[in-house]
This record gives sequence, C-alpha cells and structure tokens, in this order.
Amino acid sequence: MTRSPARLRAGLFAAVAAVSVLSRCGGSGRNEPPDPGPGAKVLNVYIWSEYLPKEVLEEFTRRTGITVHYDLYDSNEPVLEKLQSGVADYDIVVPSDYMVRILIELGLLRPIERARLKGFENLDPRFLDKQFDPKNAYSLPYVWGTTGYGYNRVKAGRAQDSWAPLFDPANRGQILMLDDMRECFAAALKFQGHSLNSTDPGILRQAADLLKRQKELVKTFNSGDYANILAAGDVWFAHGYNGQLAKVAAADPQRFAYVLPKEGATLWMDSVCLPRRARNVESIYAFLSYILEPEVNARIVNGISYASANIPARKFIRPEILNDPAIFPSDEALARCELIEDIGDATTILDEYWTEIKAQ
Amino acid sequence: MRRRGRWLGAYAWLVYLFLYAPIAILVVFSFNKSTQTAVWAGGTLDWYRSLARNELILASVKNSLIVGVASTIIATVFGTLAALALGRYEFRGKGITKNLLYLPIIIPEIVIGAALVTFFGVLALHLSLWTVTLAHVVFCVSFVAIVVRARLSGFDRSLEEAALDLGARPVQTFFRVTLPLIAPGIVAGALLSFTISIDDYVVTSFVAGVGATTLPLQIYSMLKVGVTPEVNAVSTLLLLVTVVLIVIAQRLQQPPGEGVRD
Repeated sequence: MTRSPARLRAGLFAAVAAVSVLSRCGGSGRNEPPDPGPGAKVLNVYIWSEYLPKEVLEEFTRRTGITVHYDLYDSNEPVLEKLQSGVADYDIVVPSDYMVRILIELGLLRPIERARLKGFENLDPRFLDKQFDPKNAYSLPYVWGTTGYGYNRVKAGRAQDSWAPLFDPANRGQILMLDDMRECFAAALKFQGHSLNSTDPGILRQAADLLKRQKELVKTFNSGDYANILAAGDVWFAHGYNGQLAKVAAADPQRFAYVLPKEGATLWMDSVCLPRRARNVESIYAFLSYILEPEVNARIVNGISYASANIPARKFIRPEILNDPAIFPSDEALARCELIEDIGDATTILDEYWTEIKAQ
Repeated sequence: MRRRGRWLGAYAWLVYLFLYAPIAILVVFSFNKSTQTAVWAGGTLDWYRSLARNELILASVKNSLIVGVASTIIATVFGTLAALALGRYEFRGKGITKNLLYLPIIIPEIVIGAALVTFFGVLALHLSLWTVTLAHVVFCVSFVAIVVRARLSGFDRSLEEAALDLGARPVQTFFRVTLPLIAPGIVAGALLSFTISIDDYVVTSFVAGVGATTLPLQIYSMLKVGVTPEVNAVSTLLLLVTVVLIVIAQRLQQPPGEGVRD
C-alpha cells in the first residue's frame, strides 16, 4: 500500500506543510543545513510498518553500538508533513516513488554521498535512475512491488492472468478497486495496451470510458482493507498492492491467488532517503552500508516478504520467497511494469474524468 | 401502557446492540485462530501471547499511557481552574474567554493538529512525546472545563458562605467545602480527558516525533499489512482497563451511604 487511503488528509497534510514553510520564510528555512558533524550514536528511522525486522536492527546495534529509534507510518503524507515541520528529528525516511520527487522538489532531502557508503554496486540497475530521482542523488531503492489484483480461485472458476475479469460484466458486484485515481487508470490503460503514463487525450478518453462502464460492476473502492475484504469472501476480485494480497494468497493458496496481469501493471518502489535536517550522519552511512550488505538485505527480505533491489542478496533469500511470482515476478513480467510518473498537465484531465467516474 | 413499555424495551435493546455489538465482535475475534480479522477459525490465546512479545505494541501502549496520564493531570488542573473562574467571577472578556474555551472542541481536529505543528515549528520545539502531551492538553482542558462547569452550575454557594461565616479561611473553604463538592465533576472530566487522549489519532499523527508512536498511531501503521488479531487483543485489554477505571471512578463519586447516582 503506497498511497494514502484518505485524499482529504493528504491534502491537508500538504497544506499544513506549505503553511509551516511560509511561516518560516526568511528564516533559516531555505538555507543550506549547517554541517551537523558526526552526530550521536543514535539513528532515528521513520519507516512503513513491517519494513525492518527486529533482529536486523538488533544486529546493527550489536555491531556498531548505535541505538535505533524507529517510528512507523501508514501512508506517505505524514513523511511530508514531518519533514516540512522542520522540528522532526528523523535521520532516515522511506517514502514511495512519487513522494521522493515531491520531497526533492521541496528541498527537504539531503544528497546521499556515495563515497561514504559501501555496497551501492549491489543494486539492480533496473531500479536506479528512475524519473522521480534520475541520478539517485537522494534515494536508494529499498523495496519494490507491483499493483495487480488478488482473486478468489473458488468463485472465479478458472485461473486468471489478465486485467479482463476486472472489467467483465459477469463479475458484477464482485470487484474491489483501489480508491486511487492513477492506479485505476493504470489498470484500464494497461488493459487497453497503453502505457500507464500516457498523456494522449484520445487514449485517456478511452480509458475513462472503460472505467465509467466498470463503475457499475465495482462493489467498493478501498485502499486500506482490500486484502481482508478479499479474504473474508466479500468480493471475488480485489485490485491492490502485491504485499498484502500475496500474504492472503500464501495463507490459503487453495482459495486465493495474486495476479500480475500479462498486459503489465504498476511498479512501485519505496526508497531510503535522508531528511535535509538529519543530524546523525555517521550513523546514517553506517546503516545504509549495513542494509546494502547482501546477507543483511536478504534477512530483511526474508523477514518482510517484499522484494529488494539487491542482486547478490538473492543467494540468501529463502527459495519460497524468491520463487513466489507475486513477490519476485519474472524478468519478462517486470519488464511490462512501469512506475507511475508525473504526467504534468494530463493529471488535470485525469482529475476531471475521475470526478465524473466517482460521481456517477 | 404495557405495550408501549415493551416496545421501548425492545428499542433500547436494539440501541445497545448497535452500540456494543462491534465491541463484542472485536473481543471475540481477539481469540480467533485465523490471521484474517474477518474469518473465524477456532479459539486461541496465541494473540495475547504474541502481544506480550510484541515490543512495538507494548512500547506504543506505554507511550499512550504516559501521554494520557500527563495530559490528564495538566488538563484537569487548568480545566478546573478555568471552570471555577468562569463559574463564579465576573471579569472583563469573560464571554470571549468562555467561547474560546469551547473552540478546541468545535474546531476540526485536523486543523488543531495543523496549527500545532506549525506552532511547534515556529518555536523550534522538536517533536517528541512532550509535544504530543502538550497537544492533548489543548483539547482536554476544554472537556474538563465544560464538565466541571456543569457541576458548578448546580452548586449551592450558601455552603461556602456558611463555611466562611463559621471562621474558615478562603483556602480552607476551597479545600474542605468547594473541592469535595465538585470532585465528582473533576473526576468525570479527568476520565473523559484520559479516554480522549488515549484514542486520539488525528492530532497525534501531526505532532508525534521520534519515539512518540502512540497506540492509535501504531494500529494505523499496521494497516499496511492488515490489522492482525494482535490489535484486537490489545484493544480488548485497553477496553478492560477503561471499564475498570470507570467502575472505580463511579464508586469514588458515590458519597458513603448513598445509592447509585448519575
């Protein structure tokens, strides 16, 4: 789940952030941060829940004597709000792709000094140099996944491999879609054979028409609890992020499966970033190098069941995770996936269509 | 008459069912074997055992209790003082003060959170458990003041006058006459304040900093991987504690020899 379920809250967080920056305009707000020096033997991490296994942290503390404090969040917007408040003492945050871009644009991140960290070469080039941070000056890929759908194998009758059932009138009232504009358009665009970052008005119009027809088949739009709703049997098909859906499928493989549709889907990435005001710099680089170590990285993947972008780590990842196509899709399947990118003015067109669809 | 009584009874039961069925389901599912919150797969105590080992949840419960107790104490003192001032003295700006006191209750929580984080930013006050406590005091004070004021409105001033007449000093009068009489209001206000603090999410999510994850923040962050029955278990325990607190508070509120009131 990389997007906030509450758009209102997201907007308000952003508004607050803007206000808090304005209120400090002319102050130290826009200057370069002072050199913080080596910092203390602590590290304050702000990260998605279940992204850091406890034993991985304990070993870090054993090896380095650095104490890790960590707090958890459930959507990207609190990261923006905390960093803009200027008074949150985090050293490491792990925002999603689009949020990395926003944080960079707002000048809230500190560049990563590559010379101070070991193991950058372990990272898979397929996850580097993305639009949100073209030279990886500010971010290192931490985990990644896809947005497909989970389905009830008993009810669906047959094995699925396409976006088609989510648009099939035969499944009326049995479909759950993410309450997320870009993700819904991504499903429609990919199903119609287009890039999910298409900006052509004709193509977007076709996708919107498909989503309008789909609307009456959809039982509910939900971005928070989709996996539980599928597991409870309330819908047969649930659009969603692979993490939670793969867990449902792994818990009851007879009944549930995750599909990364053959037409392609969204690739999402959560990246490690350093807030501009981060102070414990020595601890930060010790930690970054630590989590880039293949064995440590594999222990993270084994603990959280999300894919990482660390190539030599794969040797140490448990086979049932490495071979689970819901977590590590094949190279061909992954090649058909795309990150959701900033599509500029086309966003306005999508916004209008989305309002029409939701108001229908 | 009888007929209407029966309908009224049925209606009352339905209302209670509506109010308490979700809580009952939560308690039942905290003993559920399945990891999926909505599927029953037999009884177990495993979630309580894993809860006892889940340091993150335990740490967040500890944070919630620290914030709840600290903000309740501060809010109760200031809320009671405010209620007394408004209840018995005439001063310039009293009307405005009274209305300002209601504001934190009327203003959407999200606006309070937004305003506070900006405020802390301007003060360069680093976000921590203490900023959370301060934020909770902001809205808890209002609740305490309102509850205590309600108690004061039925207050018989002649009792205080009698005490003063009989030679008690004002301070003695306050502690031996006024305070015992309004104590039930203060306790009720404190309890309300504690429960509001314990389950606040919106304001807390804005002002929490390093090491300040409270239980509601912890539960929300777990949504990413789905609410586990561990959350049901911790909620059940919290419910138990709250119920015990309320029972104790009600006992305390009953003057000796008197029956159940309120």
